[in-house]
Order: sequence, then C-alpha cells, then structure tokens
Amino acid sequence: MLFGCIYVPNFSVAAVLRSEPELRPRPLALIHGKPPLEKIFAVNSLAESSGIGPGMTRAQAEICSSLVLRPRSALRETAAHAALLDAAQSFSPLIEDAAPDTILLDLTGSESLFGPPPVLAAGIAGRLSQFSLEGRVALASNLDAALLAARGFPGVTVIPAGQEAERLGPLPVEVLFAPATGDATTKDSATNSLLDTLDRWGVRSLRSLAALPEISLSERLGQRGLSLRRLARGLSQRTLAPFEPPVHFEEAVELEHPIVLLEPLSFLLNRLLEQLCERLSARALAAQELRLALELENFPASNQQPAIKNQPYFRRAVRLPLPMLDTRLFLKLLQLDLNAHPPGAPIVKVFLAADPAPPRPAQGSLFQPPAPEPEKLELTLARIRGLVGEQQTGSPHLLDTHRDGTFQMQPFEVSEPTPARKTSAQPSPDSASDIATPFPLTALRRFRPPLVAVITLENGQPARMHCDSLPAAGGEQACLVLWKAGPWRSSGDWWEHDAWARDEWDIALRNETRIAIYRLVHDLLNGGWFVEGTYD
Amino acid sequence: MPFIELHARSAFSFLEGSSLPEELVSTCAALEMPAMALLDRDGLYGMPRFHMAAQKARIKAHVGAEITCTLLSPVILSGASGSSEPFAESKDLHPRQSAGGTGFPRSARNNNTVGLPAFCLPLLVASRAGYQNLCQLITRMKLRAAKGEGCAQVQDLEEFSSGLICLTGGTDGPLAAALRTGGIDAARRQVECLMYIFGSGNVYIEVQRHFHREEVARNRAAAELATSLHLPLLATNGVCYAQPQDRELCDALTAIRHHRTLATAGRLLARNAERHLKSPRAMLALFADHPEAVSHSLELSSRLEFALNDLGYQFPRYPVPDGETMDSFLRDRTWEGFHQRYGRATRDLQTRARRQIERELALIAKLKLAGYFLIVWDLVRFCREQNILAQGRGSAANSAVCYSLGTTAVDPIGMELLFERFLSEERGEWPDIDLDLPSGDEREKVIQYVYRRYGERGAAMTANVITYRNRMAAREMGKALGFDEDMLRKISSAVATWEFRDHNDALDRRLTDAGLDLSHPRLRKYHELCVAVQDIPRHLGQHSGGMVICQGQLDAVVPLEPASMPGRVVVQWDKEDCADLGIVKVDLLGLGMMTALKDSLQLIRDHYHEEVDLAHLPADDPVVYSALQTADTVGMFQIESRAQMSSLPRLMPRRFYDIVVQVAIIRPGPIVGQMVNPFIARRQGREEVTYPHPSLEPVLARTLGVPLFQEQLLRIAMIAANFTGGEAEELRRAMGFKRSQARMQEIETKLRAGMTRNGISPQAQEQIILSITSFALYGFPESHAASFALIAYASAYLKSHYLAAFTAALLNNQPMGFYSPATIVKDAQRHGLKVLPVDVTCSDWLCTLETVPGIQCPVPSKTSAPDGHKNIALRLGLRYVRGLREEAGQVLVRERTRAPFTSIDDLARRVPELRHSDLTTLAEIGALNSVASAQWPVGRDTKINSGIATHNSQLRHRRDALWQVQRATRPAGPLLNHLDEPDSSSPLSRMSDEERLVADFRGTGLTTGPHPVAYRRAWLNAMGIRRAIDLKQIPGGRRVRIGGCVIARQRPGTAKGFLFLSLEDETGVANAIVTPDVFHQNRLLLASEKFLAIEGILQNQDNVISIRAERVQPLFITRAETTSHDFH
Repeated sequence: MLFGCIYVPNFSVAAVLRSEPELRPRPLALIHGKPPLEKIFAVNSLAESSGIGPGMTRAQAEICSSLVLRPRSALRETAAHAALLDAAQSFSPLIEDAAPDTILLDLTGSESLFGPPPVLAAGIAGRLSQFSLEGRVALASNLDAALLAARGFPGVTVIPAGQEAERLGPLPVEVLFAPATGDATTKDSATNSLLDTLDRWGVRSLRSLAALPEISLSERLGQRGLSLRRLARGLSQRTLAPFEPPVHFEEAVELEHPIVLLEPLSFLLNRLLEQLCERLSARALAAQELRLALELENFPASNQQPAIKNQPYFRRAVRLPLPMLDTRLFLKLLQLDLNAHPPGAPIVKVFLAADPAPPRPAQGSLFQPPAPEPEKLELTLARIRGLVGEQQTGSPHLLDTHRDGTFQMQPFEVSEPTPARKTSAQPSPDSASDIATPFPLTALRRFRPPLVAVITLENGQPARMHCDSLPAAGGEQACLVLWKAGPWRSSGDWWEHDAWARDEWDIALRNETRIAIYRLVHDLLNGGWFVEGTYD
Repeated sequence: MPFIELHARSAFSFLEGSSLPEELVSTCAALEMPAMALLDRDGLYGMPRFHMAAQKARIKAHVGAEITCTLLSPVILSGASGSSEPFAESKDLHPRQSAGGTGFPRSARNNNTVGLPAFCLPLLVASRAGYQNLCQLITRMKLRAAKGEGCAQVQDLEEFSSGLICLTGGTDGPLAAALRTGGIDAARRQVECLMYIFGSGNVYIEVQRHFHREEVARNRAAAELATSLHLPLLATNGVCYAQPQDRELCDALTAIRHHRTLATAGRLLARNAERHLKSPRAMLALFADHPEAVSHSLELSSRLEFALNDLGYQFPRYPVPDGETMDSFLRDRTWEGFHQRYGRATRDLQTRARRQIERELALIAKLKLAGYFLIVWDLVRFCREQNILAQGRGSAANSAVCYSLGTTAVDPIGMELLFERFLSEERGEWPDIDLDLPSGDEREKVIQYVYRRYGERGAAMTANVITYRNRMAAREMGKALGFDEDMLRKISSAVATWEFRDHNDALDRRLTDAGLDLSHPRLRKYHELCVAVQDIPRHLGQHSGGMVICQGQLDAVVPLEPASMPGRVVVQWDKEDCADLGIVKVDLLGLGMMTALKDSLQLIRDHYHEEVDLAHLPADDPVVYSALQTADTVGMFQIESRAQMSSLPRLMPRRFYDIVVQVAIIRPGPIVGQMVNPFIARRQGREEVTYPHPSLEPVLARTLGVPLFQEQLLRIAMIAANFTGGEAEELRRAMGFKRSQARMQEIETKLRAGMTRNGISPQAQEQIILSITSFALYGFPESHAASFALIAYASAYLKSHYLAAFTAALLNNQPMGFYSPATIVKDAQRHGLKVLPVDVTCSDWLCTLETVPGIQCPVPSKTSAPDGHKNIALRLGLRYVRGLREEAGQVLVRERTRAPFTSIDDLARRVPELRHSDLTTLAEIGALNSVASAQWPVGRDTKINSGIATHNSQLRHRRDALWQVQRATRPAGPLLNHLDEPDSSSPLSRMSDEERLVADFRGTGLTTGPHPVAYRRAWLNAMGIRRAIDLKQIPGGRRVRIGGCVIARQRPGTAKGFLFLSLEDETGVANAIVTPDVFHQNRLLLASEKFLAIEGILQNQDNVISIRAERVQPLFITRAETTSHDFH
C-alpha cells in the first residue's frame, strides 16, 4: 500500500500568488473585512519578517511601504483548489478532498507508472510547481502518516513502511489537530482543551504521545486519546474516502455557422433544455439556476466576462425563486433575459448548465389563499425586470430612518404566510405620531426624482417659486407662494459620508384651475431647492 | 421680552442628555437668561452642580425633575366610567378642597395600570415643601423597584403633590401620551386629572417647537385645551443639550442606551438638532403666534421660590440621659477621655490640653455641634465594643476633643496641630471626621449599625458618579459606531495611558497606534465623540464609605435610591455635592492595612503567643527606623512606593514626626511646589534654613522653613495676608476642590493684596503663592499625615518583628498597596521567611502560619525574641489558587478535617465542588503532591502511616498528580462512581524548572521557589548584567547594566514624562529612570516586556541608587506570566 498527501501551507496566500506570481519576491498580505475596519487575514513569509501579522488593521500594515495588499479571494482559492485536484488526479484516480489545502492520494500500484516512491513524490511536487503552487508532498504506507508528514515536514517526505512511528516522532502534537477548513485559527474548544491537557502533561511531540500506556490513556482521554495515540504511532488503518466529482448537468452544442438572431438560438436552447430536464427528471431533481454560456465569434474585448480557459464567453444566469422543471418556462425566461441582455456578437457555441436541487412539494396548505403559480409569477416578473431593470423590481421595504422616503427594493420571496411580526424598532420620541387623529390624512404624490426649483425668499421663507417642470410654477413669471407651512427640519447620518440635513415646506401655488399644494425641500448641506411632491 | 427655559435635561439624566449642568448654565448666561430650571430624569442628580454653577453665574437655578409615571387608569383613559361623573368635581377650579381630602376618584385608584405607556411628568419645585415632596416622591418610586427602574403611581403623586408645579411635557409627556392613545378627549381627561392632583393653578400646558410636523397638531390641541380649561400655555424647548452640535453626542448616547449602533438605531435617534438652549429672541420668534406662552415662563419662574441652599437639613440629635444636655454629656465624655489620654502627660502638656479642650468645647457648644461629636463618638464606641480597629483621620485629628473621645489617635496638642483646620466659627459647614476601618465585613458591620441606629430613611451612602474616561469612552463610542469586538479590545488597550500625558499621548495619537485611519470621516467622528463624551456621567455608583445622616427624614433632603448591593441605600449626590450643600457626612473608609494589622495581631496571638497593643507600641524602635532608613519598606503602609523608597534614605527618619513628614512629602503638592529637595537639603544640613518672612518662622520652624502641610499654608495665609480663619478655610476648600481654578485665582489675588500690605517682598510672595497653588494638586494636612504615620509605624513595627504574621496578613488582604503578592513573597523570602507552597493537605483558604522544626525565621538582631519565633513558616492559602471559588476551598478544608484524603480520586469524589479545572490547577502548582494513596508510595521509599503519607514521605511530582486528576474527573458511570480508585504511577516526566515556573505563575501568580531570574544568572553574568544587591558597591557615574522582572512601571503626572521602572531579581529590586526621549524610542518594549535589561549610568545620591537608562533590551527569562503593577 502506498498513500500520498499534498498539502499547501498558507493556502489563501498561495492562491493569490498562483494568479499573480510576480508578487512572490514582495511582502504580501491579504485583507478581510469591511472598510474602514479591514484586518489582515494572512501574510507571506516576507511580510511576516517585516513585522506584519494577521489581525493587524489595514492602517497598521500600510506602515510597511513595500507591502502589497490584496483582498482575500474566494474565487482564487476555488481555482487553486481545483488545480490541486487536477494535479492529484494526474497521478491517481483515487483521491480524497480532505481540505481546501490538503489532498490525499491512493498511489498503490502506481510505482510501475511513475517510478519508486521518492521519484513519484518528486514528480508530484514538480506537477504542483507547474500549476504555480508551492506544496508539501509526503508518501507513506498509510493515509494518516502521509497526512501528518505533509503537514509536519517541509518539501518532499517519503516514509518507508514500518518506520512511521520513528519518523513522525519529532513532530509536534499540534499537527494532529490541523482543522479541516485550512484556517489555522479555528479550533473547537474540545481540541483546545485536549491540546492544553497534553501540554500540561509535557506531551508535546508525537513520540511522547506514542509512548503513553494505552489503557491508562484511554482511562483519561477516552477513545479520542487512543485514536490520537494510534495516529502518533503511524498505525492508522483509515481508508481513503474517494472524491466524487460533483454531478454536473451541462449540455453544449457547437454550431457549423454562427447564429446571429435569437430565434434560431431559441430553437437550440429548447433542445438543450429538453435534454437537461430529462436528465434532471431521471434523477428526480429540479433546476434551481440556469447558467447559459455562449461562445462568441470576434468577442469584443471590452465586454469580456470571466471565462474558463481564456475562451471568450458571454454568460447569463437565471436564478429561480424555487426549484422548477418546466422546459417551456425555462425557455421563456432565457428568451426574456437575452432580449434584455443581447450577446452582441454571432454565437458559435452554446453551453447550458442547470444547478440541481430537490423539487418543491406540490401541494400547498388547505387554508392557504390561492396565489399565482410560482412559474407564472416568475415569468411575469422576468418580463417586468426586462422592461425596468433588475434593481427596480421587488418589494419595497421602508428603512428605519428619519430620512424621508427612503426604501430598499428586496427580491420577491415565495414563502409561507407568517403572522405579522412586531416591529423591533420603536420610533423615537421625536418621531412618534402624536395623535390618533380625527384629522383627514392626505396623500403625497412624489416626484421621482424631485424637481429642481428656484426659490425667492422673504424673511427667510419661500415667497416665490420657479420650476420648469411644473406647469403652474414655470413660465415667465415665478409663481407666488400663497400659503406656506414649515419648515420641518430633519438631519441624520452625520457619522457617514452621506450625511444629510433638510428643511421641508408645504406651499400652496395657484395653477390654471385650482390651488395646488406642494412639498418643497431645501437641502441644507448642498443648498439646492426641490419640489418633492404634491398633495392630493 | 425675556424668556426662561423651564424644561431642560442635563447629562445627569444618564444617557438622555449630553451637556453637563455647568455647560447649560454657561450657555444660559451667554443667552442672558436670568434663570433656568433643570429637570433631570427621575432624579436630582445634577442639581447641586447646577445650583453651584448658577450661583456663580448669578442665575437663578430652579429645581425640578421629570418623573416616569403611569398615571392614567384604563377607566379614565377610555372614559368608560362616564366622563361627566368622576370629573364633575375635577372641573372645579379648586378640586382639592372640594374633594374634601377623600382623594382621587376610585377608578384611578385601582392601580390597574398594566399595559399603559409610561411617560415623563415634568415637575417644578415652588417651595421647600414642594422640594421635600419631590425628594420623597422620587425616593418612593426608586426604592419600590430594582435599581434603575421604578415609576410613580397615582397615589404617590397625590400624596406628594403639594408645592409642586406640573407641566404637560413634550413628546414623552402626559399630554402627548394621551393624545396618542385616545385623542383630544383623552388628553382633556388627562389634564383634568393633573389639575385634580396638583390644583388647577399649578398646571401649565406646555408647548414645544422643534420643527416637527407631528408637533403642530399637538400644539394646536394644547392651545385648545389651555383655552377651554383656563390654563396658561407655557413655551419650553425640552432641552437635551446646550449647543446644537451636542446633538451628535446625544445621538450616540441614545444608541448606547438602546444597545444599538448608530446605523441600526434608526428613528430612535433625534430627528434634528433643535433641542438646544435657545435665546429669548429665538423663542419669541418661534412662538410669535403665542407670545403669552413665552411670557408665562417669566411669570412661572417668579413663582418658583425654592433654591437648593434652603434644604432644611439637620444633623440628628444624640439621645442623652435625662437631666443632661448634649453639651454637658459631651463635656463629661471628653473629660473622662482626657484622664486616659493625658493622665500621664507632663504638667505643661496637660495645662495646654485642658485650655484647648475648654476652647473647643465652648466653640462646639456655640456652633451646636455636640450632637455630631457624640454620634461619631458613639460609632467609635461601637467599634471598640465589637473589637473593630477604628481610627479617625482627616481634620478631626486636629481636635483635642476628638483625641480625648478616642475618635482619633494623634495628640493634637503634643503635635501642635491647627484647630481652625477642623472647626471654624466663620464657616457655616460641618467638621470633617473620617473613620478608617478594616475593609470587608467589619466595615459593613459598622455601616449596618448606622442604618439600624438612624433608620432606613435616616442614613444613606453617598453616590459616586461614574463618568466616561478614555477607555470606557473609546469602547462605548466604538460600539455605537459598530466596531467589532476585536477592534474594540484593541482600541481600549491602546487608549490606556499613563498618568503623565504629553502630545504623544493625545487620544488621536493613541487611536492611530491602534491602527485607525483618522482621515476616514467615520473614524474622525469617532475621535470627536470620544473627546466630547469625556466626563459625561454614565451611571450612578456607590461611594465606598461616605455616609450621610439626617435628623428626621433624609429622603426629604435628597432623593434616595437602592444601590446594587442588597440592603444599601444611596443618595443621589456624590460627597462633594453633599459637602457643597452643607450635608454632613461621616466617611467610614475601609483600609486594607487596618484589616491586615488586625489579622496580624490575631496571628501573633495564635502563633507567637504574644499580645501586641497597637496603641502602646514601643516608640522609636531602632529596628523599625533602621528598616526605614535603608528603604526596606515593601508592604509597609504609605511608605513602600518607589518614590517613598527613594526619599527614605535621604530623609533618614529617626523619630515619629519624621514619618509624618515622610508620609506627607511624597505627594503631588509638595513635589510640584518644589518643596521636597529644599527640605531634604536643609535636613541634611546642606542648605541654610531660611523663611520667606520672619513672621512665618513660628509656623515653618518645624519643617525647616519649607511648608509641607496644608495647615502651614493656611497659617501662612493668616499671618502673611491677614486671612481670617474662615477665609483660610475657604482657601483649603479651593485647594482640595477639583473644579476650582477660577476660585483659586480669586483667592490668589486676595493673598497678594494681603501680603503686599504686610510688606512681604515680591520674591517671597511668589514662593508662597507657588507653595499654595501647588497644594491645589493634592497635599496632606498634617493631622491626616499624622494619622497615616501611626498606621505606617504600626505596619513597619509588625513587619520588623513579626514578619511571618505580617506577611500572611498582607497576603490575605490583597489586593492592596504598591506591590503584587509575588513581590511581597520574594521580599519576605529575602528576609529569611520560609514560604511554603499551597498544599491541599495543610493549606487553609487563607494563608496561615505553621510551626516547622528546623526552619530559622529571622528575628531582629536588636530585640530578644522567644524561641517560638524561630520556626514559623508561612503556608500559602487556597485563595491564591486561580479560579478556585471560596466555597469549594472551604468544603475542601472541611472534608480534610473530617478525614485525610487517601487519593486524588478520593479528593475529587468527596469535594464535588472542585471542578476539573480547579483540580488541574491544584495538581499543576504541586498542591496535590502530598495527597497520599494506598498504592502510591510503595516502592518509592515513602513512609506510610495507615495508608496516608506524612510530610516526611517522598512526594509525587506535579505531573503524577495531573495524570491522576485527568482520570479522577472523568465520569466513571453509575456502577463505578462510588468506588475509590487508588492512584497509580504515571508515565509522565517531571516538570522542568521552567515548566514549574510557568505553572506557578499561571496557577497562583507567584512562586515560592527560586526567583525566575536566579535560573538564568550565569547567562546574565555573561551578559554583564549586575545583581541588584551589587549596585551598592559600584561608585556613581559608572555605566552598568541591570536586568530583571519588571514589577512596577510608573509615569507620574508630576515627573515631566519620566518613567520609573523597578526591576526585581533574586537579590532585590533595582530602579531605573527612563527619560522621555528614551521612553518614546522604546515605548512598546517598556510598556509590554516582562523582563528587561537596562544599560545606563548609575546614580547614587545619598545611598539612593538608580540607573539612568540609555539602552533598553528585552530579556528572555521565562514564559511565566509575571505581573507588573503599572500606574496608568
């Protein structure tokens, strides 16, 4: 039996260096968090020797003038991990994806292909270099010994069978607890407590752990202690958990002649969708997301989307509110999307993929009021999105602020009806509506965006208004303000970039037929006047 | 037309206002308002400061408060009981009379207010009766609920309404609440209800305008109600801060109060910045449609007659037997005491004392203070009966009457102390008597005695207002701005500054050090908020010992509220506020050293079999003075600090008065006043004794022409500038009062004028003024120094003669003093005391003494000591085991007394209170090494006594114990749980010296083994690092290197940026002085390294050795977490 382990220390830094190898000779630090409170997440050895370490703030790290700062990139880490898998798979079909930075390989029988273990190990290390990754490689006759050796020893290590305990002996006990996430800072409390116990016992190397008597150890640390002891002695009998590549639902078609119009493309898409839906249906799955990639002829460089293997692709994704399986609906959605976002060049290849998910239960609740079919609703929404833009659709949610008319669009969600929740924020004394009032309510019809107005003041109060966009207030002579109320003053967000302060006035102007009442706003910070709406 | 603001909150509304009362007053003065009212939330917390500031600015300070209420019953609100019937009578203009005292309609009495919104009822005080009612109302609602909660109920308002004027409030007032809930009809009923309670002439309909839309309807309704109910409209601004820009801080405090961030607080924050103090003109413009609402503020102000200087406070009378008056009773007690105190004194002293006592008694009688003296005498008598050490200090030590009564222990006649300092005919305030008591249970006993004696409403603790300082400001403002926990930790540790601050210590610099980029607008705001919130009150705490006592009801003088400690009641003012308003306080101060002295006496009794009487210690003991002269004073009261140690060998104390001087001289006052060096030079005969003016010779002769005590400065003022006793007292108050720079300047002018009249030269004037102004920083009165010197002498005596007992007592009362327990232990060991480690087979919870044959305990060479002294060792107590709860420790001791532990398993089983972590720590520090096992000692050459190892047995090592603990604390399951597992041998190796050190410091914070530096001595020698003990032999001016564990870092405010470091090694302590330049170059090293090597020039000034640091290096001695006492 021969097993191998590939381990890339400081993985997130290695992932960045893989895509930007020119940064290798420079001190590099990865930052994480939201500005202005970003912190250093990981550093390379050059940065470390300059005194930069994880946990520092960006401002502290920037003291080192030669330091290069990059944001931590999940995308690059995913790519590096994929490369790691590729490298491993080029030596063995049986691999285990142990962690983002660790791959285990079953290399039994591969000596005849790649040479004796030392040559084989060097070969793996060489392959990693080709993939621009600096990793450690260890070969041993059991899986865990290879793993521990890769984590503990730099470079390439080959442990002959029978020498595991001896070779692993000098390693610190911490190698037994390397977290599966690859993030060295996350250890659970049980692990910390175990490490603490071992430290108090003076057991700091695998050798001393291996030397503890088995029964006494089990009395003190239980099965976990025994398992660690076995690991320390290189006696693990664990088998490899082979890595199964994820189930992909992808279809593609290559065209003899480039397509320019959407109609023939629809025909092709329909075919691909039928195939995909067939496959999904065979596995009792539905689609949660459709991803379309179109390879274009003479793809304009300025429009280039992130592409795999440097191919020019035009990409679109349609995220569905719930898993569905309806070819006609999918086709319609794709058509609407492409209408709104045309590819802009002739198409030479079409790739279509679906992200699978279990389908939603078919039956609703007995007392649930009838709602539109989610499929139809989604289709309608897609049409609206196509017309008004993605940021303009959804349900508006008022924000808890004194800033007038502030809201946020949130995507529609299909959910079970829930009882009305209490609002968590209680309004301030200032904002409380004072009166359960018998007074009639008036509605404000807002102008979006507000209309710019020119105001003539008398005694600090608006006396005349000129506004081109309002027929009543435009014309050659500015309209006289007949009546006014205000100002209503508000300001806020003074701790942010976009602090605001404004005075509101309600003014009455005479137009051709009647007297109209407008809401006038004076921006106290920037000085402009605006008509924000009219009262019905 | 003028306007007066009658509804304002200050920062004393605790997170609901952002300006201090003084800021409100100064803004009010700038706006030329003749008066103002402060209505803090549910209290009169800021009122004394408001009153004092207003008095100074010649503004009338009206008193009031906003009271949280749930006034309306549902019946009234809904009008279900029929609006015509219950309120038929309330429509009468004088409903109180017509109600015939039967009170409130029954529907409102049902107290069924659950679910109704609480609101704030603004109340203004019109008369003293009103003030007393307001205090009692607040007290009632506060004491009824938990700390920080409570609201007034209908019955309370009804009971305490007399003399109060009620406003209808702003957004959170009763009118707005009613409008919100039930519209105009409910509002009308609400106002009628208030008219019923307070009388229709005492209700004002309040209108506020903050440019809110919502206010328009409310104000319209208010005007309508005012007209229909014939009530006056009153314009106010519902002020929460003095200036518009203070709104930002107010918003931040709101976010903190609601545990939100500014970003998530949303509409909890203010809508705009209009709640500031507005000028009369602005208010008139704002209420142009209701000018009468503005003018009513003036009219109402004229109705508010009460001011805070009319409190009606009376100190309680002491009950005396029939036929006696308090004066006669006091006289008898004094003369009784006189015979004890002066019975053996010289005739001359007796005569002087008799004369002084007569004078004092006459003055006491004249000022009607006999009751006060008797009450303090009664307290001291109680202490004596309960065998509690008590000693008066403060200005009381100037009084021969106090000395005769046994209240103080210093003879004021013998020491020629100034009686005027204690009591003066001119000033209208109470004398100051502080009692030092052992801290802890015994002090609590005395406090509870006071409560018992004067009743729950007759006595209370004074408050301690907790205000925002750097660290809390940085933390809470960071939270408000949404910083994460990690960042907050980083910032709060960065803003911890030394006492001395220079431009490098400014807050912005510290924040930059923490890695914040202050050019970012959000972080710039953060910095501004941190600065703005400094000194703003955060919450109310309890003063450690100040008590106020009152004749009759204290709650009619100041509101009381529950303290967080059960059974304690606290007044809403701090002790300075109480003093300002002439409320007498008795300080019952817990002094750790008093407890230590008392514990020492008990230990001496038990182990040395001797009785030591602190009142009759041998005077001028040569061993004590020898220790003082060589600055061998670790652990001694008040004379152990680094600065004290460096002046002791220069002052060479030889008699008790030298200790009094020693205690007083190392204080910021004398240091800044440049009095220390002249005094030392004169004492050493290197400088001639001169006086600023010949007339001052009698005052300054005792201190060689250098003023060291407050009394001397007062006398100088009296002689040189013709100050009267009262004026001198005013000067003392100004010196001791922290908010008094302007006051000090006024006095300075008066002083100069007086001195010029007396022909004192300008140079001498400057010198005198410098001395006096320096004392404003903090200096001791002689009487106070003398009281402390007595305790200092006692502690020195006990340390010199009963080291083991004294050290044990000191360790049992930590934290106290200047040094950590680790340093105290090392110092005791260097003096030859055997300190034994914690051992569960013999340690008690506290440190104890053990008689161990063969151990030589040091005995002072010049005294003869019984043989029993020679074999006493100190055993560390279980209290030093980190994380171990006292309950578990006590159970362990109890179980051990019942039967010895046969194994660690036995221990774990019999003391289930011991957690796994406790047992692990005990094992790690070696405390389980002697727990025996039936199997364990076999084969290890161990002496077994019935299966139990004795002290002579071969002990297991710490890792053996750790090995057993791990098994003993794993659950064995129900079948095997009751079985006692014998200990088995462990495969673990012994701890190395380094591991033992790490374990000792981690588990107990100290080591009883060799000093960490001792293990590395050879290496340190090779580096040329000298031992502390060897420095004496090196002549001054040589370059040397010292190294050791940093035990103290100090950067005093008086030392111009110098840092003083103390490095301890196995032979003693070496001191280094770091100049500001070297400090800034090595800031991080000096602030954080545990072991340092310092190279510099050795200075030896009169046997005071220090190294002037030039280079600083970190030393790696051990990983052990040693501690340093840093003075931030």
